[in-house]
Parts: sequence; C-alpha cells; structure tokens
Amino acid sequence: MKHVIPKTYKEALEHLSEGTYKVLAGGTDLMVKNRSWSETPARFKQDMLYIHNLDELRYVEDKGDHLTIGALTDYETLLRHEAVPKVLKDCLIEIAGPAIRKVGTLAGNIGNASPAADGVLLLYLLDAQLVIERKGARREALIDDVITGPGKTTLSNEEMIKEIRLPKSTFTKTQFLKVGGRKADAISKVAFAGAVRIEDGIVKDLRMAIGAVNVTVVRLREVEKLHTGETISAVQDSIVSIKNAYVPHIKPIDDQRSNRVYRKRVAFNMIEDFIMNMHIQD
Amino acid sequence: MAKVTFTLNGESITVDEPLNMRFLDILRMKLGLTGSKEGCGEGECGACAVLIDGQLVNSCLLPLGSVEGRNVMTIEGYRKTKRYKILEDAFIEEGAVQCGICTPGMVMASESLLNQNPKPSEKEIRIALAGNLCRCTGYEMIFKAVKRAAKEGEGLW
Amino acid sequence: MKTKKDISESIRKVDSEEKISGRAPYTSDISVEGMLYAKTVRSPIARGVIKNVKLPDMPEGYYTVDASDIPSRNVVSMIYEDWPVFAEKEVNFIGEPIMLIVGPDKETVMNLADNVEIDYEEKNPVFDFSNSGVRLHFDKGDVVNAFERAAKTIEYEYETGYQEQAYIEPQGFVGYIEDGGYTLVGSIQCPYYVKNAVMDTMGEDEDKVRVIQAPVGGAFGGKEEFPSVTACQLAVALKKIQKPIKFIYEREEDMETTTKRHPSKTKMEAALDEHNNIIGMRSRIGLDGGAYIGLSGVVLSRGMLAVTNAYTIDNLDVHGDVFLTNTVPNGAFRGFGAPQMIFAIEMFIHHIAKDIGEDPYVFRKRHMVKQGDKTSTSGTFRDPIILDDMIQKAVEISNYHDKAKAYEDRDTYKGIGMSWFLHGCGFTGSGESDIIKANVKLRKDDEDNVHILVAAVDMGQGPKTTFRKLVADILDVPIEQVTFNYPDTRYVPDSGPTVASRTMMVVGGLLARAAKTLKEDWKEGEEQTVVKQYEQPDYVEWDQDTMRGDAYPAYSWGVNVVEVEVSKVTYEVTVTNAWSIYDLGKAIDERIVMGQADGGQAQGIAYGYLEVMNHENGKLKQKNMTDYIIPTSVDVPKMENHIMDNPYPLGPYGAKGVGELTLVGGAPAVALAIEQAIGRKVRKIPATPESIMELIDNG
Repeated sequence: MKHVIPKTYKEALEHLSEGTYKVLAGGTDLMVKNRSWSETPARFKQDMLYIHNLDELRYVEDKGDHLTIGALTDYETLLRHEAVPKVLKDCLIEIAGPAIRKVGTLAGNIGNASPAADGVLLLYLLDAQLVIERKGARREALIDDVITGPGKTTLSNEEMIKEIRLPKSTFTKTQFLKVGGRKADAISKVAFAGAVRIEDGIVKDLRMAIGAVNVTVVRLREVEKLHTGETISAVQDSIVSIKNAYVPHIKPIDDQRSNRVYRKRVAFNMIEDFIMNMHIQD
Repeated sequence: MAKVTFTLNGESITVDEPLNMRFLDILRMKLGLTGSKEGCGEGECGACAVLIDGQLVNSCLLPLGSVEGRNVMTIEGYRKTKRYKILEDAFIEEGAVQCGICTPGMVMASESLLNQNPKPSEKEIRIALAGNLCRCTGYEMIFKAVKRAAKEGEGLW
Repeated sequence: MKTKKDISESIRKVDSEEKISGRAPYTSDISVEGMLYAKTVRSPIARGVIKNVKLPDMPEGYYTVDASDIPSRNVVSMIYEDWPVFAEKEVNFIGEPIMLIVGPDKETVMNLADNVEIDYEEKNPVFDFSNSGVRLHFDKGDVVNAFERAAKTIEYEYETGYQEQAYIEPQGFVGYIEDGGYTLVGSIQCPYYVKNAVMDTMGEDEDKVRVIQAPVGGAFGGKEEFPSVTACQLAVALKKIQKPIKFIYEREEDMETTTKRHPSKTKMEAALDEHNNIIGMRSRIGLDGGAYIGLSGVVLSRGMLAVTNAYTIDNLDVHGDVFLTNTVPNGAFRGFGAPQMIFAIEMFIHHIAKDIGEDPYVFRKRHMVKQGDKTSTSGTFRDPIILDDMIQKAVEISNYHDKAKAYEDRDTYKGIGMSWFLHGCGFTGSGESDIIKANVKLRKDDEDNVHILVAAVDMGQGPKTTFRKLVADILDVPIEQVTFNYPDTRYVPDSGPTVASRTMMVVGGLLARAAKTLKEDWKEGEEQTVVKQYEQPDYVEWDQDTMRGDAYPAYSWGVNVVEVEVSKVTYEVTVTNAWSIYDLGKAIDERIVMGQADGGQAQGIAYGYLEVMNHENGKLKQKNMTDYIIPTSVDVPKMENHIMDNPYPLGPYGAKGVGELTLVGGAPAVALAIEQAIGRKVRKIPATPESIMELIDNG
C-alpha cells in the first residue's frame, strides 16, 4: 500500500489519476473507521493520499453573490469568518468539540457521506455547489446530486472536491436544531435546518432540511416551492399537508443511539415548530 | 515508512515511520512523550490533545502523514512556559485535579481557548472544553481554574 | 502562639503537579526493557461449549496462554468464587476471555489473535430474570399484620439500567518477574485483592507476589474486583513466558467486557393506615448479575439495606435476587446497589403521596428518620441526624417550594425534584472485623520523617493529600515531614480495599489512632513503628444470616435538588441547576470533599437521564465513548454544594464516608424533576428523551 503526502494540489490530482488512492483530509472519520490496536498503524485497505497540509485549499472568499470555501478549510476557521452564514455557524459549533473542528472539513464530511452528517445538512439547505476536479478536468454539481447513499458519492476514484460554493441569501429567520445524545460530542439522532425569508407578510424563500432520517438528507424543494409566495397564515394553515408531504421521506432506523419512533416524531415536531414560528424573531 | 519533518516543542524533528501511524503513538511510543494520554482512541475524550499551530487537535485521530511541516506542542513543551505556570497554579488552587488523566488535555484545551480568547465567559469556557471528558470533577472546578488563570495571567494571553 | 487551623481548611493537593504536567506515570505510560504485549482472545457467543481450538502457526517468541497453563486454580478469588481466570470449556458471555496471545510485535500479536479459530457448540443464552444465583431476605416487625390491617395498599415497579464507570484511563497492568516472584503494577483500587487472587490462582506464597499501584486515571468501583481477573491472567502468562508483559485494555474491550452497575427491577408495595401513614412495606429487588456472581451478593445486600432510605417504616419484608444471565458480569460501581434502591424508594414514596393526594414534601417529612429510630434491619440510628436542617437549607438555596408550585403549570415544561438519602459507611455488618481486619502502619525514620504505610489507593479522591494532612496535624509537624507513596504490597500492610466509603473513616481513623500513639511515644532521632488494627465498635451488633442489627457503624446523609427544562419539540432534558447539602461528619479537606460532591453528583444525575447502555442478545450496543454518553462540560448544570458538620465520635476528626454518598441521590432528584416537567410518573431510568416521549404519549 502506498502512502503519499503530495506537496501541491496539482501533485495530489496527479496521484489521484492513478485511480487507487483514497483521500485523507482531516482524518477524523477515516482514522476511526480504520482504527487498529494502539501502537499499530491504521488499517487502511488502499493507497492513501494525505492532503491535510495543502494550505492552498484553505480559503474563504466572498465573491459577491456567493462564497467559495476551499476544501480543506476547517470548521474552526469557518466559525470565525465573518462572511460565513449564521445558520452554518450555528450548526458547526455543535459538531463534536474544538479539537475535531480544528481538522474537520466540509469536504471530508461530504466524502464520508454519513446520513447523520451535520455539515452536509447545511450544504443542502444552502444549495451548495461543489467544484470537483480530476487531473485535467473539473465539474460542478449540486450537493443533492453528489451524495447518493450512506457512504456513497458520485466522486470517482480520480476525483476530489476542490471547493464548495455557497450562494448568498438573506433570511429573516434561520434555525438549526440538533438532537444528539448530549449537548456536545454527539452524533445526531435527528437534525433540522430551516431558513425563511418573509417580506411584507409573504413567504419569499422557504427551506427545510432534515438529517439522519433517511439514507440522505431530506429536502423537498417542490414542497417549498409550492408554498413560496403565500402569506404566513396560508402556509401555517397548510401545516398538516406540509407534514404529510414529508411522510414518505422520513424513514429513520433503530440503532444504538435511538429508535425510529422517536426520530420520526421529533422530525415532524421540528418541521411544525419551524413553520408555526417562522414569523417570530428569536 | 516515510520521513516526516515537523517542529516539536520548538525543535525541528524528523521521524521515519509509517504515515498511517497515529501521531499519539509516535509521541508516546517512538518519542517517549507520555504526557498525552489515550482514553478512547476515537477523538471523544480529548486526553490525547496537543496543539498544532496553537490550536487543539486530537492526536489519536491524526495520522503522521498530516503532521508534515506543522508546528506541534505537547504538554512536555508547554509545561516550560509562563502561561503553563499560571494554569498549573490555577488548577491546583481551585482543586481541579482529581485522578489527573484528563488534566494535560484540559490544560492544552485551556491554552487553545485563552490563546484565541483571553477573557472568556463561562459559556465560552464550557464550549472550549466540550471535547475534553472528565469523569471525576463534574467540570465545575475546572471552569473556575480557567477563569482564575485568565484573571491571574492578564497580559500573558 | 500559632492558632491551629481547622482540619477542613483546604490545602493544595500534593499530587496535582505531577498530574498536570503529564509526568505522573499511569500504567500505560510505563515501559520495561524487553517487554511483550498481550491481547485477549474472546468468545463471540453468549453461551456455549468450546469444541475445538485451532491456533495459527505461532512464530518464535510468540505464545498462547490459557487455562491449561494455570498452576493452581482456574478461579479468580473474589467474594464469591465462580469467575474463571480463562474460560476452559464453557463460555458464558460475549467477550469472555479464553486465552492471551503474547509477543514482542503488536501487529503480529493482533494478527495471531484474529486468526485463532474456535468452534463452539452454542447453547441457548439466558437473559431474563429466571436463574437466581444469590437469594437474600430480611424482615423487620410484622409485615403480614401490617398489610392485614391496612386501609390501603399501593404497589409500583421500578427499573434502572446499566451504568458504565467510563473512567478515562482504561484498565491495565504491567507485569514482570522479580526475585523469582511476580510483580504487577496496575491501575487498581485494591492491591491486596489483586495479590490474594494471584497467590490463589498461582498457588504461591505471599512473598512471591508483589502488587504496586500506579497512578489511577479514575476507577469508581470499576477497578475494585475486575483487575483481579486480568492480574491472574497476566501472572499465568508471566510464569509461562518469564518475560515482562504489558497488558492494557483498549477502550472498546474495556467497555464491552468489564464490570458495570447492575441493572435492576424492584417491586415495592406499601401498606397505609387510615391516617395515610406507611405502616408496612414489601420490597423485591432483582439485579442482573451477568454471567458470574463475583461480589454481586454484596451489591444486592447493600441495595436491600437501603430499602427504607431516610424514612422509618416499622414493618418490612425485603427479598432480593442476583440473577445470572449470559451477559458481561456486573460488579462494583460507586454506590454499590444503593443507587438502584434509592431511586426506587424515593420515587415510590413520591408516587404514594401523589396517589393519596398529599403533598409529597409533607408526606416524606412525616416519615423521615429521627435519631434513635430503628434502621431497616432493626439496628439503631445512634448518632444525631441533621437531615431536617439540611433539607431546610436545600429548600432555601434552591427556592424549592416556589419553583415546585410554579412548575405545576404543565406549560412551563420545567420541573424541580428533591431527593434525601443516606449511605452506610464502611463494609456491611461485620465485614470490617471478620473479613478485612485492616492494619495500618506508621514508620518514623531516624530523620523524624513519618511514612504512612497503608494499602489505600488515591484514585483522585485525595488520600495522598488528606492522609498526610491528617497525620501531620495530629503529630503537629509540617505536612512535608509526612510521606504517603503509592501502595506497594512489599511495604504496606493490608488496610483493606479502597471501597465502601471506608477510606477516611476506617483507614484514616486507624491512622489517627496510630498518629496519636506515635505522638505520645515520640522519640526524636529514633526509628519507630506503630501498628494499629481495626476494632469493631462494641455497640455494632450484626447477624449476617438474618441480616439483623447494625448494618453500618455510621451513616452519611445528603439532599439533592435538581431543576430541569424539557423541550416540547425534542423531549430533550436540560439540567439547569443542581444544589446539594451533605453531612459526612467532618471534611478533612473541604475542597476535596466539594470535588467529590461535584463529580459524584454529575455521575448520579447522568445515571438518571443521560447514560444509556443496553444489550441485544447479550451484545452491548454501546461500546465506546461515542455511543456511551457521559456528560460533557456543556451538559453539566450549575452546581452549588454545601457541607454541614455533624462529627462522628469514632471517625478521625469526626469524619464519616463521602465517596459514594454524592452519587446515590442524583438519579431520583432528576427523575422527580422530569416527572414534574412532563406530568407523568417516571418509573424507569435513564429517563431519556425517547422514554419521555413514550411517557407523554402513554404514561
């Protein structure tokens, strides 16, 4: 097995083009998944590319109508950057603890593709576009189209995420609710992110994303569009049909953290709570 | 195996070890620096925490391959500093040390916090220490110790 | 003349510097030249018989160690001797050790361990409460008569779950051959338990086994009896291989295969007279003992004895069972049976009050124990009880009554709960005099330095400091003149295990007597030794067979108040505040006692609402620090604790026990608060958001 520390991003893509490498960014997921007995090396099953030190992939740039975030920008850096949207910060501060946040990256969170991923939940909410590159080529994709299932993405062996683009939006209210076993260092049992823009009593932009209740994040853009342009009370009066629309999509499981009955109930509680209070400032 | 060069407690060092070794094991087994502890091996307890470029990182999740060119400080290096003395005194005065296994990690977490925020509120202290588990103290005296250090160490951070 | 300080006045702990700096050598920090590493091969099934073992090719210098290598007995000597050192034919729980693989390279050892092939004939595992391994009973007064003349009877069942000690330092030993004998350095609470077990398993004399305590990174009972298992395995390996061996558990194997707090089911029945006084009570408690009994019988005993807690009930009938199941054997954890029972009785007495329409506070006060009353086992509460004052103070500082009233409004989703409790100090009944027979030694050298020689372990709770403080104070010398090193059985007598909240009261008490004697006989510049042995206070009478008399020489008392907020949307509990008042006689160091209060309470409250561990067909579902949830700095509430002095004449400076007291009341306090917040009776802990949702729907 080959283990390589590329000196530049270009070099990284070069190695990746061989098709045998797995990218290790922060390592907080991969080092747990592949852990071995103490004082023995991690049990990786393929060639490994250690890209943690590619500082050229660490940046946050305000491009006017969107924000670009380099793939290796860590959560702690994002938390301190003024251009990063509040709702994303509300999410990141609840992830693990400071030490994990110092090496954790959105790109890594995407690559790991856990159904309980919190960063990914926010990327769905914020309509994140990913810039994915391979040697000699680049493509862009909406986050919804990149993650396909637990641990599964459309990234090929030769590709890696270069950058995340967040279109800028203004919201009159955002909410992030994470339900974990405790108030820090917890994997989500169920999580909710909501954002709305209300102008003159009309709902102009309505978004909700629910995590850890299906194989991928649940975001129903058609349901949101259906109620965009309505008055606040019209939307709130439709709460039952809105909730019903989510029923086929909210299909959580039983595991060591929680059970499906609880997760389902709380997911719907959170949807209702957001809709019914979307006009109330915190 | 590969040669990895980094700064450790102020000195440049090169180790020749597999890149997929945990940095915690490099410290403890290869370099004899046992001040960083293994409590869980999965980044939950923080007993293994070191400072990379002044910020807290769990060394049990850090492969050697991620340390190339970095500036690392462990408790062995940190305990030579003036800031350490302030924290040490504060921890002792407030009774914040019981079994002590979490303590070096707590000290590193405190340094990481005060380095970025010299006058933290209690809420900020709680958040900064959230990745360091303690089973003995209920955290209360540790909060007091960090507050005390922030006060006594005025100007140092 | 210098005014003598009050002993309670806090001083700087003597071992903090070495711990903060990272210098303290915990077991896994220790390296011995030429040492090998050991890994355990374990049963993957809950119950069965080993049919065949196929070993991989063992390279030179790599060994297997199993039951066939045991010189004397394949039993780990504990209170009850049913725990094998290595499984020989039968396996009785998932994770049960069958052999060790030992060798110089960890990766090779690991691969060899992974490639041991064992064929089993599987048997049907037992997980229910059907196979009783220990059955105990006691009674008081005439409970049949009480129930016959009762105007009303009320009955409830209560359940508690596992609790994992989750000490941050996993278990381990480093062992080596020294002077033809076995030396074991480890993370332990009881050097002599380990020594005696190894002597027994190996068939060796006492001069051939040396046990040394390394700094312990947390224990809470989890390192009380369990280390004897790994120590015996290690000794067998040492005999076979004759090289130093490092044997450290990984977190997951520690969590999956070491002892935990016994899950319990308790049935409570009360008989009330026409004035709504409880005139009789029946209780039946079942503990899930896991695969082996070990010291579960003693856990059961202590649990049963706590049945009436801080209340006086004249007629009792109490039954208890330890049920054997094919799960990890359970064992000691701070509180040792009391937390399970105190949860049950505190909730029960509240539920009775609610059912009969009385204010629980008033109802409980009416039944509260007073000095001179008979205990649950017909002993006597001889010493003054200041519980009334403690409750008053707790009510004051927490504003309990106002809040309790305000939170009756369901819409607040807030609640406040108060628990009152006692904890018997020291070993039950005649344990100290019949089984332990503690000995302490003070040795003064010719430079007049005094060496404390006891087997008591400092696992964070402070005897390294408090014992030196105590002895120095009595001898009227500076603390620097008194030493107390980590116990080494080569040098220290058996002063008993570091358990049962006995360390200060009993061992400290003996040291105080020794110090007084030394002071009286002090000869400057001369070597002197003083030895003291435990003497049972003659007023303590106990019949182990009928479980009648004074179960404990003294009791410590506590009051916990906990305030919570429950989320309407997620059912999550936020513990916003916690207050406590403790009577532990006299604090030998106030800040150290407060540290115990903070930590014990955090554990006790978390036991009530946060810490979840369950198994599925014998496989634990939570086996690491990610899945087993203990509180972080963001979870713990604001805590305010107070100590009220109530000196016990036979304790050093009046000190009683404190180690366990601070945990036992947390769970009922938080459960009662949650109960108020959601308007439903809580009968099961941990009261997780999932269970809260269920209670709101169906309760």
